Amino acid sequence: MNLYQFCYGIIHWLVDLVNNIWYWLGDFLPWYFGDLFTTIGDFVASEGHLSFMTILAECVVVIVVALINVLNFLWIFRKLSGRILDFYGPYYVGYGIGGWLQNLADGMKLFIKEIIVPTKADRLGFLLAPVIFVGSSLAILAVIPFSVDFGISTNESGEYVSAGALFALAAFSIAPFAILLAGWSSNNKYTLIGGMRSAAQMMSYEIPLILCAASVFLLAGSFNFVDIVDAQSGMWFFIPLFIGFVVFLICLMAEVEIRPFDLPEAEAELVEGWTTEYGGMRFGLFYMTTAVRSYAGGALATALFLGGWHGPSFLPDEIWFLIKAYIVFTVFMWLTWSVPRIRIDQMLVFGWRRLLPLAVLNLLIAAILKSGGWF
Amino acid sequence: MTWEMLVFLFLAASALISALWVISAKEIVHSVIGLVTCFIAIACLFIMLNAEFVAIVQLLVYVGAVTIVILFGIMLTKREIMESERK
Repeated sequence: MNLYQFCYGIIHWLVDLVNNIWYWLGDFLPWYFGDLFTTIGDFVASEGHLSFMTILAECVVVIVVALINVLNFLWIFRKLSGRILDFYGPYYVGYGIGGWLQNLADGMKLFIKEIIVPTKADRLGFLLAPVIFVGSSLAILAVIPFSVDFGISTNESGEYVSAGALFALAAFSIAPFAILLAGWSSNNKYTLIGGMRSAAQMMSYEIPLILCAASVFLLAGSFNFVDIVDAQSGMWFFIPLFIGFVVFLICLMAEVEIRPFDLPEAEAELVEGWTTEYGGMRFGLFYMTTAVRSYAGGALATALFLGGWHGPSFLPDEIWFLIKAYIVFTVFMWLTWSVPRIRIDQMLVFGWRRLLPLAVLNLLIAAILKSGGWF
Repeated sequence: MTWEMLVFLFLAASALISALWVISAKEIVHSVIGLVTCFIAIACLFIMLNAEFVAIVQLLVYVGAVTIVILFGIMLTKREIMESERK
């Protein structure tokens, strides 16, 4: 049973329940309301409405699962930062469970703060930028399956979106627009510089990222997550494409703007980068979405290079997928606190002169492996 | 009126209105917002035509790359940060 069929069952049961009550209510009304009642009841029970509601229910399931993972990620981030920098990290909020509730408390704090739009800001862009950023980042999650059955992109007969992995990369690449918009519309020189830096960084690191993904597509012969993961049942792709794996991870760190590449929001230079003028829950949304993006990035690295949901069978597939994504995130955090932030010119040189040739070399290796007949 | 017709009308209307907004907006960044909306609506129209791959490439190339190049072109040419402030 896949996620679609599961949600369809629940929605069907709910609609039956509601319709029974609806028709029972209809019996008490005068006869001339009867037609309207049956029309609405038939519409609610129709197949189109049912599948629409099923897709909405799937979205809710996937987003709730993602946000729970994001809470875990933020918790890991704080605890691991603490351990590496020699302090305890969150401790008292959620005393028995290692301070896990600290992020919920911070979220509540951000929720009750006032939302301020600066007077000189461009209102449309200022209010639209978080929407685009959050929306495009949550859209990545739509195509990432945790296992053959647990994915939103499956239909009722188990068919998959044909180019899911490409869609994930496409959705990844919308964010620089939102960031530039946020930086420009705040009408503040720090946010503008942060937005420019961020867009330059994301654009230049996207090319090696997509080239590395292209080598995986070449070996697997498909754009589809399920086919890519199936192609790794013998050997995970990070062994033949080790250069590509390393380049992919570095580019992911640049894409989600974590420490060695966090110069868009370098605190010492740019106050808080392109989020300077945002307060309250809008800042919370940006903060949360960065974690969503690192979660999606970990899931992408897992699906493309680390064998997806393959693993010993004593744990379910979905758990293996999450374990690998968490390991990728932990490696990110380890690197974050081990290396200093780099300068903007160093970052561009590193991206264009080092990572891009390495990514092309990796694509060449993939082509040789494919044409030699090993995959 | 089927569901598909409704969705098609919505997408077509949003593509047309945002395309009109591109040429009529006062702020040039607002017209880039309209351009992105138009591209995304067209990508959705491609999905309705069962052309998934074209839709995804439309997102990747046009929304992801072309608009950023346009934004860079706007921002790197010499002008005030926000033009409406000059008056």
